[in-house]
Amino acid sequence: MIKIQSKVIKTIILAIIVIILIGIVPFKTSTITLLSTVLIYGIAAMGYNVLLGYAGQISLGHAAFIGLGAYVSAYATGVMGVPFLFAVLLAGIIPIILGLILGGVALRLEGHYLAIATLGFGVTVQQLFKVLKGFTNGFAGRIAPSASIFGIKIKGVGYLIMLIIITTLLAILIENILNTKTGRALIAMRDSEHAAKAMGIDIVKYKLISFSISAFYAGVAGSLYMHLVKYTQPDVWGTVLSINILAMVVIGGLTSVGGSILGAAFIVLMPHLVSEIPYINTIPSASIIITGIIIVIIIRFMPMGLITFVDRFKRRITHVRS
Amino acid sequence: MTIFLQNIISGLETGALYALAALGLVLIFRTSDVINFAQGDIAMFSTFFGYRVFEKYMSYPFAVILALLFAVGLGYILERLFLRKALKLGIINKIIITMGILMIIQGFTVIFYGTEDYYLRKAIEMENFNVAGVIIQPNALFIIFLTLAIVIIFNYLLKNTKFGISIRTTAEDEETARLMGIPVGKVYSRSWMIATALGALAGILVAPKTQVSISMMLDIHLKSFIAAVVGGFSSFFGPVAGGFLIGVADNLVGYYWSLDWKTAIVYGILLITLIIKPAGIFGKVVRKKV
Repeated sequence: MIKIQSKVIKTIILAIIVIILIGIVPFKTSTITLLSTVLIYGIAAMGYNVLLGYAGQISLGHAAFIGLGAYVSAYATGVMGVPFLFAVLLAGIIPIILGLILGGVALRLEGHYLAIATLGFGVTVQQLFKVLKGFTNGFAGRIAPSASIFGIKIKGVGYLIMLIIITTLLAILIENILNTKTGRALIAMRDSEHAAKAMGIDIVKYKLISFSISAFYAGVAGSLYMHLVKYTQPDVWGTVLSINILAMVVIGGLTSVGGSILGAAFIVLMPHLVSEIPYINTIPSASIIITGIIIVIIIRFMPMGLITFVDRFKRRITHVRS
Repeated sequence: MTIFLQNIISGLETGALYALAALGLVLIFRTSDVINFAQGDIAMFSTFFGYRVFEKYMSYPFAVILALLFAVGLGYILERLFLRKALKLGIINKIIITMGILMIIQGFTVIFYGTEDYYLRKAIEMENFNVAGVIIQPNALFIIFLTLAIVIIFNYLLKNTKFGISIRTTAEDEETARLMGIPVGKVYSRSWMIATALGALAGILVAPKTQVSISMMLDIHLKSFIAAVVGGFSSFFGPVAGGFLIGVADNLVGYYWSLDWKTAIVYGILLITLIIKPAGIFGKVVRKKV
């Protein structure tokens, strides 16, 4: 059998297989929406992974970037009439400004101080969403039109397939960034800032780069979320979402792009899966309790994340074959 | 002037609650390196318990004491069950464990107490004083002085008792504490017990304002983080001062500046404070050795 070495080709093949599967299997509409949500949070988590896993910077205000992306996209398509794909790009670029501000704060702070400063940052931005009524429409919320590319409306299965393509492209992009000088500089910075400095790595530059990348991914995710749900209001973009993104990355596996998507799938799907279990689903809020317990168990017994499980499984298969 | 004083007093009242919660937060953080995101919800759960006891069985003071004992027990169980074994994990993993705890507690709150709001009485129900035009609620005074008393007693115990010294040693350096023969495990569980009790007290005292509900601690919980950071994690006095500071600033900005922009401005002040003094106003900067 030919061994496929390139990670890029592997990722593309995986994406094509998934697309074909989705094309063949007749999923319910709710399932399609759920899977789309997984991919959207997966994109945000991938960006966050660069920040936390590679650069070692924590942020507890990441919902701010996703929210900003969503509002930018809604405003651009709904009010200004910008085409969809361009709006997605715009929704990625504008949060970078916010990311640079937060990165500037991170230059001075570290550890738990940074964690809580970013928490405050997230709350502030959420509050701004409530106050800046001209841009966000306040609590009334803002609506967005359906996504359309070159006049063709995309929804349901089509949207999911588009999401798979975008996720794949973004995953390849991030793998490539991380395999270059930038990625190695980020890792060096994470392991020891002083040592990295001594090696001639510009800490300021790379900290800002890591915040920008994660802000871009979060913004794109926000935009894609906006055109899936088509409505948003400020309550969505709170601390809970920020911590959920953090949980996705840690549960999936730090420093693993695939792990981010796995983590997103876990956090999004778990409550739904639990509520499918007979008897338990008669108890109100059982899903949140069980999800909580499973999170604790995973962190406790798999501190490197779910991806270790997948890796172990893969290794066993190759072992058997040889 | 009277309006200014009025704002200061109500600021001190909320500030006292932030301070109580922040003290608990810092205690847990300093001893066991956990940023406890479930602190607010543990307090909420204990307050619900206290409310149920008060409503059905007992007079207010006994119900409060029972609720505090309940919080102590809960703190002990949670620490032993979830965090003791996770001691060696990184700080981020521990944050996520507390998030798991938060979800579990929220789930149980819905099962046991439902999703409705309830009214809990004030600690002191007396006529308001009027000092030269400034209306003073006895309850507010009670909260402020109770907090100050707790902080003073706490700091006294910390300085002068064996247990206090063991807490400070563990906070300073866990490994050395072990070598000195300090039962570090006991220190962990005790600091959790104290912290959850402090949180529960804040919850009971804020209940007349927010109602007893599942989201009652949201504001205090967030502000207590900010208070801890503004005051600095490195002392047990800093977070209390930070709590009062945030409470007063919140009220003054809300009244004189803009109610809508209050949160943004207060957090803006926080960020600027942190950029100027990265370890908080009262914190010491610890330089890392290479």
